[in-house]
Amino acid sequence: MPECDNPLWPCAMTGAASCLAGFDGITVVIHGSSGCYYYPTTLLHAPLEGTFILEKEIIFGSEDRLREVIGNLSGSGKRIAVITTCVPAILGEDIRSMLEEHDVLLVDSPGFSGDIETGYRKALAMLAPSVDPATSGVNIDGVCRFDPFYCGNVLETQRLCAMASVPVGTIFSKDRLERVHHAAAYTLGTNEDFSSGVGQSLGGMLGFDQIRSSFTRIDEVIEGSDCRPVFTELDAQEERVVQACDKFLHRYDPPSTAIFAGSSYARFAAETLTRYLDAEICCIGTRNVAGDSPVPMIEATSLSKVQDLIHTHNPDLVVGSSFERSVAGNAAFVGLIPPLRGQVRLYPTPLAGINGTLSFVEHVLNACIDKRP
Amino acid sequence: MSLNPLPVNSSRLGGCTLTGAISVTSHIRDTVTVVHGPKGCSHHNASLLHAICLDDDRMVMPSLISTALGESEIIFGGEEALRSTIRHAAGRDVSAIFVLSTCIVDTIGDDTCWICAEEYGVPVIPIPTAGFLGGSFQDGMNNALIALAGIAEPCPATGGINLIGEMNLEYEVRENSAEISRLLSLLGLNVNLHFVHDTTFSQLSLLGAARLNILRSPSLVPVGEVLKEQFGTPYIPSFPHGLSGTLSFIRTVAGACGIDGQEAVSGECVRQEEMIAGFSDLSNKPVSLDHTLPCVKEIPATEELAAVLDRVEEIQAAGELAARLRLPVSSDGNGISLPVGSAIGTAGTRRMLHRWRRAIHA
Repeated sequence: MPECDNPLWPCAMTGAASCLAGFDGITVVIHGSSGCYYYPTTLLHAPLEGTFILEKEIIFGSEDRLREVIGNLSGSGKRIAVITTCVPAILGEDIRSMLEEHDVLLVDSPGFSGDIETGYRKALAMLAPSVDPATSGVNIDGVCRFDPFYCGNVLETQRLCAMASVPVGTIFSKDRLERVHHAAAYTLGTNEDFSSGVGQSLGGMLGFDQIRSSFTRIDEVIEGSDCRPVFTELDAQEERVVQACDKFLHRYDPPSTAIFAGSSYARFAAETLTRYLDAEICCIGTRNVAGDSPVPMIEATSLSKVQDLIHTHNPDLVVGSSFERSVAGNAAFVGLIPPLRGQVRLYPTPLAGINGTLSFVEHVLNACIDKRP
Repeated sequence: MSLNPLPVNSSRLGGCTLTGAISVTSHIRDTVTVVHGPKGCSHHNASLLHAICLDDDRMVMPSLISTALGESEIIFGGEEALRSTIRHAAGRDVSAIFVLSTCIVDTIGDDTCWICAEEYGVPVIPIPTAGFLGGSFQDGMNNALIALAGIAEPCPATGGINLIGEMNLEYEVRENSAEISRLLSLLGLNVNLHFVHDTTFSQLSLLGAARLNILRSPSLVPVGEVLKEQFGTPYIPSFPHGLSGTLSFIRTVAGACGIDGQEAVSGECVRQEEMIAGFSDLSNKPVSLDHTLPCVKEIPATEELAAVLDRVEEIQAAGELAARLRLPVSSDGNGISLPVGSAIGTAGTRRMLHRWRRAIHA
């Protein structure tokens, strides 16, 4: 069946905007209607621009309107990136030649071309990121403004790198534009679903095992690094997690858990809950193409699929977005992916790094304890 | 400070027809809305409705089904995907299916109405929407209400009042609805039908039973005219703004229904006096009021004029309120800037006064 009941994941156009809006030095223009503009603008909390085209531009061509908008924006010193939405993408206009007097980056990423990850990757590829041998340290990637943990992930990874005396190269995608072409030779990932492919990957930052493995690699390849403080903190904080989970298990059974997320975050959640809480992972529904996992993953991109899985497995704990919370019934709930509507989020909470695991386990334990009789 | 720069020409900012129509159809509980287009269009709206539902303490999401068009359907046509999706939706226990198109579908030329006219065993109602090609958010809302009016038959009068076009995406939609119900109750009147807010498909058959339609805003006048022609029901073009606007509203409703409203007006007047007295601490503070009007085209559309009219009423209501509180209003913007928004009825005015007090004390 091609149809999709209450689709739960944004389109490629939003993905392209979420990538480009992360770079200081780019003005992002959504080439489409106000309807297409409003969603990424409210979702990403970024200063996007739009062409706000009308019917007449579809009939007579959008060149004049596009040139008007780009003309008004040029001269700010920022690179202009134009993202096409569905209708302009099929009109067959040669937008590149229309704007040839401007140094415009054109990202053809209409909504029908795929999901958010597709658009993110396409936009990043258009920036042509490259390694600069003069840049030392590690890049951070997997950062996407759409992710409620993106800011916390960056701050936490920077903190751990600083502890290990490792300079941070380029952050994909939360950096100055010029840094795109001066990336370091190595990269740490905060979310594989939005990986950059730039530099040699030293591993991820999700979960204590990944962090330990990644900083072991850093010790091997980054000259001048000293990862002992990171390992010391890792051991101490992991012990705290073990004690807190042990205490929980003295009194309660492990929660049977349904996880809904992108495959990278889903794998992290499953491994963490299995390892420290002996939780039974009754199902994993992924928003994107399911990756390798010890626990079988299936794609769940519609609300009806999510409902089916929750009703079938009747979990004690649901991990996912507020869409999942709306159909979770009496199960405990922990937010892992957007949207996380209906709650105020001000603090840049991480999911990556040591504090990310601490925060995740803390939320899980509190949610489960709150639901117990 | 807004981070989002917007163009001067506001006609480009009318929003999406699809969203306007969905804001109506998603409030008919036992129905399904099929969105004929890429998944992203449905997701954008599902996410928006989800947020509104949570704000409204409702955990159940309305059902939107996307035909999930991809590149191949964009090239070869999406009519078969629409047919298949309607059949899938018809297999559920629903009273009706609404079919909404998107801008990409209108651009590639799918004949949505033709597909909807086939037999599915359940009413399938196409609503003209086509993203920005179909007009604005308000057009989508009006089109949906007019399409729904088309399926209602004349029926015996109940003596109640219809509320037409409540803004379901508005944060305080329930509070505004409750205030209008309270004002009607002062005249011994009740609400016949919320057209359309949190209702069922069968309840729509009551549309023609009302003695009066009250429109949420003047932008809905085209809907009011259709209902007047179809059922002969007169209408009032807007919910009331501010103090005297509320008293005038009671008088107008009473007049339209042939009721003596003097006692109701006097009672409401006392209520307003008591409310104003409770905010006397704000007196004599120099303030400024936001008089910004919506930008319109050189030759504005009817809908744009209606939006301006609505805004003018809001500004007038705020000015009257400031005068009653003896707040010196600065015309050069030097006083404390007070928010001027929709203040529906006496209750809405009270909530605005609390926001004014917060601004003055900030």
